[in-house]
Amino acid sequence: GKVPAGSILASAPSDKNLDAWRESGCRTTHCNLEVLQESTLVFLATKPHILPGVLQEIRPAVGPHHIVVSLAAGVTLQTLQRLLPAGTKVLRLMPNLPCVVQAGAMVFARGSGAGDGEAALLKNLLSSCGLCEEVPESYINIHTGLSGSGVAYVYLFAEALAEGAVKMGMPGGLASRIAAQTLLGAAKMMLETGEHPAKLRGDVCTPGGTTIHALHQLEKGALRATIMNAVEVATNRACNVAED
Amino acid sequence: AGVLAAHKITASSPDTDLPTVSGLRGSAVCSQPLQKMGVNFTVSNKDTVKSSDVLFLAVKPPIIPFILEEVGPDIEARHIVVSCAAGVTISSIEKKLSTFCPTPKVIRCMTNTPVIVREGATVYATGTHADVEDGKLLEQLMASVGFCTEVEEDLIDAVTGLSGSGPAYAFTALDALADGGVKMGLPRRLAVRLGAQALLGAAKMLLESEQHPGQLKDNVCSPGGATIHALHFLESGGFRSLLINAVEASCIRTRELQHLADQEKISPAAIKKTLLDKVKLESPSLSVASASKVSLFTSRSTSSKKN
Repeated sequence: GKVPAGSILASAPSDKNLDAWRESGCRTTHCNLEVLQESTLVFLATKPHILPGVLQEIRPAVGPHHIVVSLAAGVTLQTLQRLLPAGTKVLRLMPNLPCVVQAGAMVFARGSGAGDGEAALLKNLLSSCGLCEEVPESYINIHTGLSGSGVAYVYLFAEALAEGAVKMGMPGGLASRIAAQTLLGAAKMMLETGEHPAKLRGDVCTPGGTTIHALHQLEKGALRATIMNAVEVATNRACNVAED
Repeated sequence: AGVLAAHKITASSPDTDLPTVSGLRGSAVCSQPLQKMGVNFTVSNKDTVKSSDVLFLAVKPPIIPFILEEVGPDIEARHIVVSCAAGVTISSIEKKLSTFCPTPKVIRCMTNTPVIVREGATVYATGTHADVEDGKLLEQLMASVGFCTEVEEDLIDAVTGLSGSGPAYAFTALDALADGGVKMGLPRRLAVRLGAQALLGAAKMLLESEQHPGQLKDNVCSPGGATIHALHFLESGGFRSLLINAVEASCIRTRELQHLADQEKISPAAIKKTLLDKVKLESPSLSVASASKVSLFTSRSTSSKKN
């Protein structure tokens, strides 16, 4: 809500994707160049393989006043800068899905033409969608493995929690809502207290109680290592995709 | 450890051939013979009881009932009977002694081997007739050889699993760490020394820090570095769960042994025949064997307190 809808112009080849923007009160067009002419801050949100073509198309209209932010997975700052006029202010952003509910986790890296002002602007704008941090470009693939894909790990965990509850006799719908709330609450406590998760975990474990017994099961299943493996694999995959 | 003057300590064992005994009495093996420390030595448990106020029963659990039978008649109200026997309950000791003394003072304690280097971990639980001061006395004595605190008796099995057996887990870990060092090129002695120092240092950091061990671990793990790679291996192997399993198994076994002892399923046959014979010779009135290994305070010099 930091920018009035009327100040946002969205462009896409077909109307299919534009309805959502119009409903929010944004202006829409089918012409990419129009976006460059009308706007200072430009977000490139195409699929990675389409992006080079789009960059070629808009390149003539890109000027020193523009701030170009790419969300395309795997397309490096080096590539972006190569396909745009020299000195263009380029930044690369990696969000995650919960941005749509203003609880996203985003990281961005700046190219050589982007300065503190551009970084601060982006961070300021995006903070309304969740957590937004500037990082070195090398962290972006890690962010993919941790938080981009990470959202799916959480869904898997939530599903399993609920199934456990169903097995023990709770209706599925209720179990699912409680599972989600449990994750939400735990995450909120982590963010708000700033305490180490190991400490927060210990706080829940009364001696000989239910929690420590359950945690033992998780440790027996080498859950930690499995999760570490997942993050590693996703990160490596992001790197590989980038190279392609 | 200097808390108690040596001449006030009496150690007793009927079997002077036991390595622990002969070592303390002065042999080529041990450099700190009992007599040098100034501790009195006797082969008579009964004499020990008569000349002492605090009695440490440092025998194997199956032997406890026999010891209690032997010394029971000499127990007076002033005596504080401290049992270090794993799995032997206060109530079982009180029951046995109550046939001889109406209000026996019993304290049950669980310690561990590093008392030898004054870094023991000791807990104690006080019995029905033991006063607060009795507990405090024991605490004072054991605090000179490490950490000592009072607990509820029902926690002692868990303590056994954790810090009683704990040094064995550590020795195993150290052996393996040293192997790792040797594999990567270190001479064995150096590898052992460094491994031990690493664990010692880590333990000291944890004890002196307010921080959670998870946080201390994080502090060592630089992003993408050597340590986090190594930790991933540990997690993959279920390192944490193995340790949890170990503590659990030791605790459960302790309870099992206690259960067996309560039912007095351990027979005299379990006790070495030689000991039985020896005691029978010395105390013909007794029909049961008793043996007590030398206990306590085998720490180095009597000069300085634990630092």
